[in-house]
Amino acid sequence: MNNVVVTDIAPGVRFSEVRDSRFKTMRISATALVPLENSTVAQYALLSQVLTRSCREYPDFTELSRKLSSLYGASLEAGVRKLGETLGLTFSVSGIDDRYALDGESICAELSELLCSVLFEPKLVDGNFDNDEIEQERRQLIDLSDSEINDKRAYSNKRLLEFMCEGEAYGIRRYGSAEQIRAVTAEELKTAWTTLLKDAKFEIIYVGDTAPVTAKRVFSEKFSSVERTPAELNTFVVRKAGEVRSFTDTMEVAQAKLLMGFRTDCATPDEDVTAMRLMCAILGGGANSKFFKNVREKQSLCYYCFSRFHRVKGILTVESGVEADNVEKAKNAILTELQAMQNGDITEDEINFAKLSVANDFVSICDTVSGIQEWYLSQLCDGRFLTVKEASDEFAAITKDEIVKAAQKLTLDTVYVLKGKEEDV
Amino acid sequence: MNIKEIKSELINEKYYEIEHSSGLRIFVWPKEGYNTTYGIFGTPFGSIYNNFTVNGENVKVPDGIAHYLEHKLFESEDGDAFTLYASTGANANAYTSFEKTCYLFSCTKDFERCLEILLNFVRSPYFTAETVAKEQGIIGQEIKMYEDSPDWRVMFNMLGGMYRNHPVKIDIAGTVETIAEIDADKLYKCYNTYYNLHNMALSVVGKVTVDEVLSICDRILTPQEKVDVVTHFPEEPYEVVEKYVEQILPVAVPIFDLGFKASGKTPASEKQIAYTDILLFLLASSTSKMYRELMDKGLINSTFSYEQFEGPGFYSIFFGGESRDPESAAVVIKEYISRLRKEGIDPEDFENARRATYGDALSSLNSVDTSANLLEDFCFNRRSIFAYFDAIASATPQDIEKRLEEILDTENTTLSVIKGV
Repeated sequence: MNNVVVTDIAPGVRFSEVRDSRFKTMRISATALVPLENSTVAQYALLSQVLTRSCREYPDFTELSRKLSSLYGASLEAGVRKLGETLGLTFSVSGIDDRYALDGESICAELSELLCSVLFEPKLVDGNFDNDEIEQERRQLIDLSDSEINDKRAYSNKRLLEFMCEGEAYGIRRYGSAEQIRAVTAEELKTAWTTLLKDAKFEIIYVGDTAPVTAKRVFSEKFSSVERTPAELNTFVVRKAGEVRSFTDTMEVAQAKLLMGFRTDCATPDEDVTAMRLMCAILGGGANSKFFKNVREKQSLCYYCFSRFHRVKGILTVESGVEADNVEKAKNAILTELQAMQNGDITEDEINFAKLSVANDFVSICDTVSGIQEWYLSQLCDGRFLTVKEASDEFAAITKDEIVKAAQKLTLDTVYVLKGKEEDV
Repeated sequence: MNIKEIKSELINEKYYEIEHSSGLRIFVWPKEGYNTTYGIFGTPFGSIYNNFTVNGENVKVPDGIAHYLEHKLFESEDGDAFTLYASTGANANAYTSFEKTCYLFSCTKDFERCLEILLNFVRSPYFTAETVAKEQGIIGQEIKMYEDSPDWRVMFNMLGGMYRNHPVKIDIAGTVETIAEIDADKLYKCYNTYYNLHNMALSVVGKVTVDEVLSICDRILTPQEKVDVVTHFPEEPYEVVEKYVEQILPVAVPIFDLGFKASGKTPASEKQIAYTDILLFLLASSTSKMYRELMDKGLINSTFSYEQFEGPGFYSIFFGGESRDPESAAVVIKEYISRLRKEGIDPEDFENARRATYGDALSSLNSVDTSANLLEDFCFNRRSIFAYFDAIASATPQDIEKRLEEILDTENTTLSVIKGV
């Protein structure tokens, strides 16, 4: 496992560096963490797009893109995601390592400065973000938000969480709604930006061969000029489900989607989180899971059937694509597998195979630049810093008894079905 | 047995190519410091191979059979391959594309066992009426999932508009009707024809040595008789069939794919592939004037992308993404192509595009998966990976201008659009 050096460079701002000579590329990401709230989510989402479109030094989008392409097709990206009820805005640059530059230039240093200036020195006109730029990015963000419906699998997952977590922050869409994006003003955007620099927690992570001297210096300098008051980040965990609620959307689709959401009565930093993760892997984690072997292979009900544990929020979701006529059958098949798990009907092989598979995934993560970055970000967010080896060992130590106990904690909260419109007979 | 070291001074990489005594071609690319080993065993048999002559007999097979065969090969008499791999913790999978079928694993321990499993199950077909029937439901659902995917539909609708006869226009998984015609006999016929070691290639990348791979292959693989097979592709006219195709699906923003058909008669060389990548970058990447105008006019968004699409008997270039006005987007794209032809290539644009293409290609070698898949691709297309890098490094603006003359015929296009309900 790679060694990581973590430095606090300002209140609530950590700089983690992972030096690794295996890769031909380097990457720096700065993830800003803020509370996920209905009133600000669209502002932050739009802000992340506007910030990565230009900056003071490269005030025009095409100029900025050309600068990046001259650095051997380097990339500058912004991404928005939910980490429990925290909104994570990740700004990242990546490019080839200095060793491979054809003319000996330092790409790492240039990209570090670029990422920093994107965050701290945006292009402002009379103190505000440029209106044309806002409108361009607003249009695209609305498209992005609207288009979530195109991918039926991702869309149905989002709908399940919206219904299940109505009234909870976790039910908020990561970009906000199209109406919310439309309503964001230039002033709000400016406020969101200054708030971000002041109140967000920042995890800056560098992975590459070259020492990130410039990155550390520029970020330290910039953050020292801000009066930092990092906000508390919390996720509200609903421990148990009440009455099961069912929702159905109809749309012109060939395949129905069946989703189920369970409350797990277990969330980070609870001790049984690892047992729940392993339980989830055995139940519906992959090709050796109960769902795959029984719901897919034995009963031929579906092409995919997976479970996912949202460990920060304490939710487990199950998703499958099935024939509309088979929705009930699939639901029963899924519940039967869960019941088996709760009854302790789990073989030693199932447990061992899941442990091996998890260990394999963990070790593989460290063979990619983005994998290393994601690993450390999730560790930082979990609030305990484990190496891949330590995490695998935790999984290896889980007993059957703990798995069964974890399964028994599940309570079904919401069933969501997306299906085609009924044909007139 | 012949072991060749293939080296690139330019990017400081090397791999080994081995002609194994069994007839199999083997590639081994050790990557220092990696924990993962990625193995992939493939055959140049994909969805477009639906008509062939083997040992003098002409055979036509149902659409989607290569993909069906992939699913079924995963099963042996003693359970499926996933179960065999389970005790190693490895990730295993398989995929079928237009031109090949590949079986793969990614492991961090027990490499020898993983490779043994891979070599054994791919060479042990077991198809019965019962096991073949069971798959109808699963693949049927896979097909339906793709029917609901607008990105997938927009491309196949476009291919249907572009190609009159070439099977590249047919969905890789076939249809619920065509897969109903598949039986064990047909699967064996395809298997015995294309899953012959002389046709196939094994690539292993990451934490591995040549000796490790060979000791297993020597033990498991025995020499196999060559099979005499000729694949037939129907004559394909140069012209597209339809200029415009449209489908209604539940989408919020319309999606389009604009395809420029070119002649696919002769396979593209490394240089042609590299020059096209540079050309497309300078024409359509986010640094380009074309991209800028499309954006400023609100005709595209960040989903805009482009692709060089080529294989046996087909070659075309796609531009696509979401657009509130696909027809206007298509007009702008064609205008810029015409303008680039007339005005020639700006040296600075060229240099940026060359560097960016080099950087992209170089980054892709970070990943053991990508490297292994590239080895299979380049092998089946009889191209060399490092020759592709060399072609990028030595490209000149004149090379790119010449390539522009050969492709991107603005009169020979199909616009495919998916509109919302």
